[in-house]
Amino acid sequence: MSDEATTDEEKGIFGGLFVNKHVEYIKSLDKRHDEIEYWMTEHLRISGIYWGLVALHLLGRENELDRDKIIKYVKSCQNTDGGFGGHTGHDSHLLYTMSAIQILVMYNVLDQINGDKIIAFVKSLQDESGEVSGDCWGEKDTRFAFISVAILSFFHAVDQFNMDGVIEYVRRSMNYDGGFGSQPGGESHSAQVYTCLAALAIAGRLDIVDRDRLSGWLAERQLKSGGLNGRPQKLEDACYSWWVLSSLKILGRVHWVDRQRLCAFILSAQDTEDGGIADRPGDIADVYHTCFGICGLSLAGFDKYPLDEIDPVYCMPVRIAERAGLRSWMNNVPKTWK
Amino acid sequence: MHGRRRQTTQEPTVDEREQNKQRVEKYCALNGLVMNNRAQKVFSKDALETTKRLLDLNTELHTVWNYRREIFTHLDDWQDEEKRQEMLETELAFLLEIIMKNIKSYWMWNHRIWALQSLPRPGWERELGLVAKLLSVDARNFHGWDYRRFVVKQLKKNVDVDGQLEVDAREFAFTTEQINKDCANHAAWHNRSKLFPAVLNMAKNEPERQGLFKKEFDMILNAIYTDPDDQNAWLYYDWLLGIQENGEEKRKLLRDKVATIRELLELEEDSKWPMIELVGALIALEQQNPGSVTSDEKKECLDILSRLKEVDTYHIGRYKDMSKTMSQQWGGIC
Repeated sequence: MSDEATTDEEKGIFGGLFVNKHVEYIKSLDKRHDEIEYWMTEHLRISGIYWGLVALHLLGRENELDRDKIIKYVKSCQNTDGGFGGHTGHDSHLLYTMSAIQILVMYNVLDQINGDKIIAFVKSLQDESGEVSGDCWGEKDTRFAFISVAILSFFHAVDQFNMDGVIEYVRRSMNYDGGFGSQPGGESHSAQVYTCLAALAIAGRLDIVDRDRLSGWLAERQLKSGGLNGRPQKLEDACYSWWVLSSLKILGRVHWVDRQRLCAFILSAQDTEDGGIADRPGDIADVYHTCFGICGLSLAGFDKYPLDEIDPVYCMPVRIAERAGLRSWMNNVPKTWK
Repeated sequence: MHGRRRQTTQEPTVDEREQNKQRVEKYCALNGLVMNNRAQKVFSKDALETTKRLLDLNTELHTVWNYRREIFTHLDDWQDEEKRQEMLETELAFLLEIIMKNIKSYWMWNHRIWALQSLPRPGWERELGLVAKLLSVDARNFHGWDYRRFVVKQLKKNVDVDGQLEVDAREFAFTTEQINKDCANHAAWHNRSKLFPAVLNMAKNEPERQGLFKKEFDMILNAIYTDPDDQNAWLYYDWLLGIQENGEEKRKLLRDKVATIRELLELEEDSKWPMIELVGALIALEQQNPGSVTSDEKKECLDILSRLKEVDTYHIGRYKDMSKTMSQQWGGIC
């Protein structure tokens, strides 16, 4: 077949989404040993794998990575305290423990690791007031409230945690715009909003949210370009397609933004030569923005390619969340929100 | 990777390739050395120096920051107060240097907090000055504001109740200053909402209280007239009305708001935020005192929502939902 006869679809381009290029980009990430970025990002490799794997799942191409090699690698990142580091030999942190477990859940091999040790690790990071640290050094953040609750829910062990304390911690971090900060007193930020809503969803306490006010604030994150920002007066960024839209999805208000314009913005941030999605058009792509850009397309209902549906609480495909018994948060959504 | 521009694809020259190769080799060798020291539990001054060299290249290595802290606490000098003070002062200077290079690194801020909390004589006032300087470069910086609140918390720990009020008053004045510079500063308005209740508590009598509220409303009006379509002052306005006790005074304030918005809309009839806020104020009034909103005003609200769908096509879904709810609640007139 001559080049001229090749259609977009044969090249793996669907409605402007460069599917094949993104798959090739993600697959190439583990081979870029001659690039300094490869080594400089080693400390969060496990999160990089998670982002790549989510993107591939949504594109229906998850089998393109070496499953056994990844599982073995993930296991090598677990430390004696039960937590995981971002790479073999690195210290445990909730951020990387979350990525590790999400990968294992997606590969359906959570039973191959010692869950009790992980549960103990997570429980060790909550203080008596309910606040949660990211590691033994004590940085507190509502992101860690979500991660701790999510990890425990993977093991169906939330009842072993001081949930009232966590909920109170999240509630105290709520602001007059309906959003949430990184801690009590902290300014609202849409990524923080996602983590707090997701924590409340799992805890079954979404009722404490000012739904209308927060939905309005989140909807206003959309800018002229169609892209979303994290706070007022900030630039749009493809990753907020996930943080804002997942929040709106939990609130039942995805239709409060212009989904078509958002999709157009995400597509405009693609690297159509080498694959991957960047924060904004013309910038260098990375796996983080590739993942959250594609997640955004899925939530926004992009229909030119059969993207898998994403769970807005766990950030993994709905079919996997269902298999892992993680969809019960939906029963906790207030009836009037549906 | 935020905000790094893509270059047009050009094959690197032989020289560039060689340079890159050396850079990778150098970095990997240093990283290998540090991680190996860590594994061997080496807690020497030499090891400390290598972590510094590595962190200077890559601030994101939280394991290396952890290791650095471990080395510090294992050194003999750590036990000597004067020597510890000196070491940590040097550490703070190093941190300042690299924070300026990458302000967004969580790990560095954590390390700075650790260093200050480990200092025999921490200089919290100096930290406050430092944050002010940082915020003068980037007035919205998330880490800067979070750190500022942390420093303020420490300052308040060391003083009595009057001293604490003084700190709050000073912080409140700082937000005034920031808002006067840029009335769209979301971070400053936010912080103001956290501080105003404390400032209000300082009022000695009712007239003083009313005076404080009056000042806030003036500030809001100033911001709203400067840019009616900036959401920050509106958010603060809503919040300030929300903390009023229900009653005649609150209804009057809501009516004042309605009047202000009508004035704004006379100047610019398709201004989105004033339109949204007019609807919001009337809904609040009706909730406060059912029947106080006339049927003409209710019709006006629905008209505004229809117009908003044309003025702001990004949020049609929201305006449709609002119209639907309003029609249900105010059924008769619609």
